Amino acid sequence: MFVLRMAVRETRSSWRRLLFFFICIAVGVAAIVALRSVIQSVRGVFGREAKSLIAADVLISTNREWTPAARAAIDRRLAEAGAPLSTETIETPTMVRPSDESRVSARMVELRAIQAAFPLYGTLELASGEPYTHAMLEDRGVLVRPELLTSLGLTVGDQMTIGNAAFTIRGVITNEPGRRVGDFSLGPRVLVDYADLPAAGLLAFGSRARRVVLVKVPDDKIDPLVTALRSDFKDEFVNTRSYRGTDDEIGEDFERAENYLSLVGLVIVILGGIAVSSVTRVFVQQKMRSIAVLKCIGARSGQIITVYMLQVMTLGLAGSILGVLLARLAIAAMPYAVASAASSSPASSLLSDVDYGVSWSAAGQGVGIGVLVSLLFSVVPLLQVRLVKPSLLLRDESVAGARDWTRLGAIVLVSAGLVALTAWQASSLQVGLIVCAGFTALAFVLQLTGRLLVRAVAPLALSRSFPLRHAVLHLSRPGNQTRVILLAVGLGSFFIVGVRALQASLLEEFSLASAEDSPDMFLMDIQRRQADAVRAFLDQPANGAGGYRLIPVLRARVTGVSGRDTRLDSFEDVRARGSLAREYTITYRDRLEENERLVDGQFWRGASSDAEVSVEKGIHERFGIDVGDVVRFDVLGRLINARVTSLREVDWKDSRSGGFMFVFRPGVLDDAPQTFIAPLKGPEGPDARARFQHTLVEQFPNVSVIDFHEILTTIRDVMSRVTLAISVVGGLVLFSGALILVGAVAMTKFQRVYEAAVFKTLGANTRTIGKMLLFEYGVLGLLAGTVGSLGAVALSWGVSRYALDIPWRVFAGEHLGGVAVTAILVALIGVVSSLDVLRNKPLATLRAE
Amino acid sequence: MTLACPRLPHWCAATLLLIAAACGGNDASNDTRGTAEPAVSAVPATPETRAGRDPSPRPDMAGGRPRVVALGDSLTAGLGLKPEAAYPALLQRRLDEEGVQYEVVNAGVSGDTSAGGLSRLDWALDGDVRVLIVALGGNDALRGLPVEQLRRNLSTIIERAQTRQIEVLLAGMEAPPNFGQSYTVSFHEAYADLARQYDVAFVPFLLERVAGIASLNQRDGIHPTAEGARIVADNVWRALRPMLQ
Repeated sequence: MFVLRMAVRETRSSWRRLLFFFICIAVGVAAIVALRSVIQSVRGVFGREAKSLIAADVLISTNREWTPAARAAIDRRLAEAGAPLSTETIETPTMVRPSDESRVSARMVELRAIQAAFPLYGTLELASGEPYTHAMLEDRGVLVRPELLTSLGLTVGDQMTIGNAAFTIRGVITNEPGRRVGDFSLGPRVLVDYADLPAAGLLAFGSRARRVVLVKVPDDKIDPLVTALRSDFKDEFVNTRSYRGTDDEIGEDFERAENYLSLVGLVIVILGGIAVSSVTRVFVQQKMRSIAVLKCIGARSGQIITVYMLQVMTLGLAGSILGVLLARLAIAAMPYAVASAASSSPASSLLSDVDYGVSWSAAGQGVGIGVLVSLLFSVVPLLQVRLVKPSLLLRDESVAGARDWTRLGAIVLVSAGLVALTAWQASSLQVGLIVCAGFTALAFVLQLTGRLLVRAVAPLALSRSFPLRHAVLHLSRPGNQTRVILLAVGLGSFFIVGVRALQASLLEEFSLASAEDSPDMFLMDIQRRQADAVRAFLDQPANGAGGYRLIPVLRARVTGVSGRDTRLDSFEDVRARGSLAREYTITYRDRLEENERLVDGQFWRGASSDAEVSVEKGIHERFGIDVGDVVRFDVLGRLINARVTSLREVDWKDSRSGGFMFVFRPGVLDDAPQTFIAPLKGPEGPDARARFQHTLVEQFPNVSVIDFHEILTTIRDVMSRVTLAISVVGGLVLFSGALILVGAVAMTKFQRVYEAAVFKTLGANTRTIGKMLLFEYGVLGLLAGTVGSLGAVALSWGVSRYALDIPWRVFAGEHLGGVAVTAILVALIGVVSSLDVLRNKPLATLRAE
Repeated sequence: MTLACPRLPHWCAATLLLIAAACGGNDASNDTRGTAEPAVSAVPATPETRAGRDPSPRPDMAGGRPRVVALGDSLTAGLGLKPEAAYPALLQRRLDEEGVQYEVVNAGVSGDTSAGGLSRLDWALDGDVRVLIVALGGNDALRGLPVEQLRRNLSTIIERAQTRQIEVLLAGMEAPPNFGQSYTVSFHEAYADLARQYDVAFVPFLLERVAGIASLNQRDGIHPTAEGARIVADNVWRALRPMLQ
């Protein structure tokens, strides 16, 4: 039991250093575990949000009647998937009126007939605050939107006629899960009992209704179920989608947020690994002299390796466990921190929904990383012990590098363990391999760049300032810290700055999608003779409409193109080009909108009798229509040859100004038949909106008003939750990343202690040594920060483009700030962690070493 | 019968798609968005009335035959069909086969309501128009617009055509049963009343034997397939043929 005793003794003699090692590991592991846990539960919340948007896991819908065969097929698939719950609804537009015959007004509504199990996810909220139960609808009850009551002049308790039956209004809906975000509606929502629908007599031959089966299935069965149903019904009028469907914008945004979070999860694992590895390396390097001494007095290599492995493993394991405990504490404290930061926002409820606990998988991963990484970075150097000669004690001799298969084997074995761990984290072996390979390549590149940069600052070694000269010389002296710090800090800043830049980019994307000032109402079919009157109506402050614009729209088709690259002489030729032949809605105006950017050519000013058209970039790219080409349009039967004078790029994501593929110069189309559409910001509050619609339609009966305020609010709400979650996770990355780097850098101080003591003996004062340390670490931090931030530009480009599918934006502030903060942080840590060295008498240090 | 910006594809990330789709654009970013309105309708050209608009007029326009103008919505425009499959084109072919020298003009605009039809009446009644087919109202029904308004717009169209000595063929439309009996009945009566009042040629229901039959309609359940359009052409033909020498 010599080995055990030796290990204990060794631990006792250098307990302070070991304690530091221990804490560094604990911090790294704590960061991994805490972040992974938060990310896991935030993802859970995303899932719930997305599910409540469609009120189900899977929707199967048709605008025909279900045939018995189709129903049987669906039921069979549901049974196969083990779906525990499903419910049916029917949606149809219809007219309702007060049952009181003295009032004649009728109003179009979007009726939905629901069964008791609806909604499968989310809650139906009522204005009265009482919880919704299906009993409210039974026996001809109806729940309505507030604007319907205003426009019909009814209150809760009144009777309302739907089709052939009278229904009693039992309550007012404020929030309805599963409201079809896919469609906008021409009327407010009305909910009735599924069983009462036949009584209304609305469903007959030729009725337009959408029948939906909402399904709840275990998460892992969702995709197989959707695939199976899609192939069953590929020739029929049946649509199947899951809550994860990315065929719409919000689905895409959810997916982006998820991808971002899993990316961050990987990054934190890597960061933690870096910290543990650099700490272990320094620790083992420090031991080399003791090992030489042990060899002098006859210890065998095997014994020595076992002693130190035992030490490292015990400390790694204990540190990891402490890390898990730390993570637990940090997470338990989070609700308080977040609640005070975001108490006013509606999004705070997201974080109160989050389950604040450490998940087992996160804890397992954290401990696994802690132990495996410390093993990887201790086994490999420790195996060198076999080659250490006692003479090392006397001469600072480098260990000769014969090919050492055992060592290579050990590297491969431990690396395989790490790949497995990453694959587990990413839940894909391929991703695990790619990440590990990419990571190794990155470390290599960083190393190379680091060397180049060190060479680049070499001239500073001729500087007159003693501290600066020495600081620079230190970078390439034997036993230098350059490699360790460049690698740890460079990779650290690379990931942190990269994640920050991605976060900023993602949030900008989301804020565009849910901008506060975007229009939430839409008027269509305003006739030309009504345009001025509608303008006057909207201008009247009493009506409460916010910003609006009237856009003239016409319909046109391209019937020919004569251009440099494209020549289409007849409509047949155009048709061969696919969607170029479709009917386009066009407009004319003499300025670019906010969401448009001129790509080529010149945009006109003022009107002209010559037809000119500006073409969207997408059309230019797909059909090769260029500036200078002539496009023949058929505008309601008249042919117009328009010369393309400019190309525009429309930012489709920025909705405020709409988007047109073809914009004409004013002058040619002014007399053509046209209608106007008007996006506008409606009045605040449901009552005001209802009144606004009511008076508008009274005055302009042919104008249809589409109000999507409610949908917009729901989406904004969800987006702000997602945004907050991402910001919180981003903040955690920054914080824990900084902690990890502090640990990694501070650990290197042990190599400085001896040097500092020698300098002191030779007469250097504390100030000079302090400056030397400041410069050395400052230069290192600057180098590492520069490499990391540059790399982060590439990282954010790659990820924006390939993983998140968003436009790449460069946030110069984040990157420059990253360099500055890294340099300052590293310099500070370097000096502060060496304070004891600076203060101590050199003799004490020399003896201890 | 499509609305100007119908069935907003998917969630309208809110406004943006709404407007983008309304404006028929946005097929650059994603085809599911842009296909709110599939490739559409023939609008065979009418001759140019203004010099300089079109330096290269089509050869077949030189004849200056008398005209039949079909003023309508997407059902007339032939939404989702090849231009030659829309019913006005089919009418043209039958006239040509019978050697009747008329030119059928497709003045169908997807999404148009009766109010829209009224406001572009003058543009459509260009040249030597002898017969006006009025096939409007489908979008009024889909949007649940007041029947009173439909009635007023249609009667104005008929009156204006009649004062110009143009014969009118009124094609009726039905509101789907889901709007409730009182709306569907008054909608139905509006056409019958107008036909009686102005004594015009009348097709009681343009989509007779087509509406509600899955195999004759496109995926949206609103617009006829090519097969359905042939039946629509039959419906119109029976009333149209006697009006032409």
